[in-house]
Amino acid sequence: MESNPEDIRAQLTAAGAVGVLAVEPFDGAAARVKFAPESAAALFQVFRDALGFTHLSTVGGIDWVTRYEVFYLLWSDATKRYVILSADLDAKTPHIETASPTWPSANWHEREAWELVGIHFDHHPDLRHLLMPDGYQFHPLQRAFKLHEPEELEVKVRHV
Amino acid sequence: MSAVAPAAPLPAAPKPGPVVGPGGELPVVTNDVTFVEIETLRSREFLPAAKEALSAMLKEQGESKLIRPVFNWAGRNSLFPLHWGLACCAIEFAAAFGARWDAERFGVVPRSSPRQCDLLIVNGTVTWKVAHKLIALYEQMPEPKWVIAMGNCATGGGPFRTAYSVVPGVDKLVPVDVYIAGCPPRPEALLDGILRLEALIRERGE
Repeated sequence: MESNPEDIRAQLTAAGAVGVLAVEPFDGAAARVKFAPESAAALFQVFRDALGFTHLSTVGGIDWVTRYEVFYLLWSDATKRYVILSADLDAKTPHIETASPTWPSANWHEREAWELVGIHFDHHPDLRHLLMPDGYQFHPLQRAFKLHEPEELEVKVRHV
Repeated sequence: MSAVAPAAPLPAAPKPGPVVGPGGELPVVTNDVTFVEIETLRSREFLPAAKEALSAMLKEQGESKLIRPVFNWAGRNSLFPLHWGLACCAIEFAAAFGARWDAERFGVVPRSSPRQCDLLIVNGTVTWKVAHKLIALYEQMPEPKWVIAMGNCATGGGPFRTAYSVVPGVDKLVPVDVYIAGCPPRPEALLDGILRLEALIRERGE
């Protein structure tokens, strides 16, 4: 099975995908596809239905100070290969359309990325805290987050 | 078979008088109600007299001198910790109750329900996410209850003290009686902490 960037690019062109900015080689995966965040929802459908990437392994976010990056690691069970989707987001208000309707496994991964990195996923069905208690007011994996002295870190512990 | 003989009448009460021991006449204690008057017991049936004497004692001295020491003795020798593991210290906790260290010889038996426990051993890193569950478990335990902070994480946050998700010391959430240092502390240290808690309970007279 061919699994190189040219193959992915050809399949994307055949499927009529829009919003693809670049298809780059990436070690360990068929390609890394950079895309514009506005066309996320349509592109997710193309990757699942036309290219056969039926499984979403993980969603993550990176704070690059001048921009945010969100990436998706997809796995195709039919062709046994990975592909990485990657989008650059605005540094002020990073947000992108949710992948939950396409891949249900995106639900918790996007909750984690929102909570730790601060990327907001639009139309997410259940964007609640995952690892931190409700009411936690920081996004601790952002570069601007400073480690607190224990006395400064006031976390409201809710009794349930 | 013959009919049951009627109960023999109680022997007549002996005449009250000074009790004479081998060494001579014993002093008669009149004001201290902790001593049951022997003459009372002699002259009347035992159970009503004992009941009366006990209630008189309780009324005079209250729980503090009679009931509390019994409960204190029983409680400190049968501490039931909650069977709850948080992190790697829970491995040492489990080893302490295994065959080699055998903490049950001190009457310490882990129970799986907080309603049956009087000792909370916090054995591991407490995150803010689990904090309210720890408080809920503590509040479900009946009084009197004690808390042991086992290991550096529970004592003061350990290496994660300034982390964004870790409670810097479980004493921010519940009152702690005994702190055990170590990362993790050996089972001997846990046993030492439990014995120190027993001494503490005896000292406080809880």
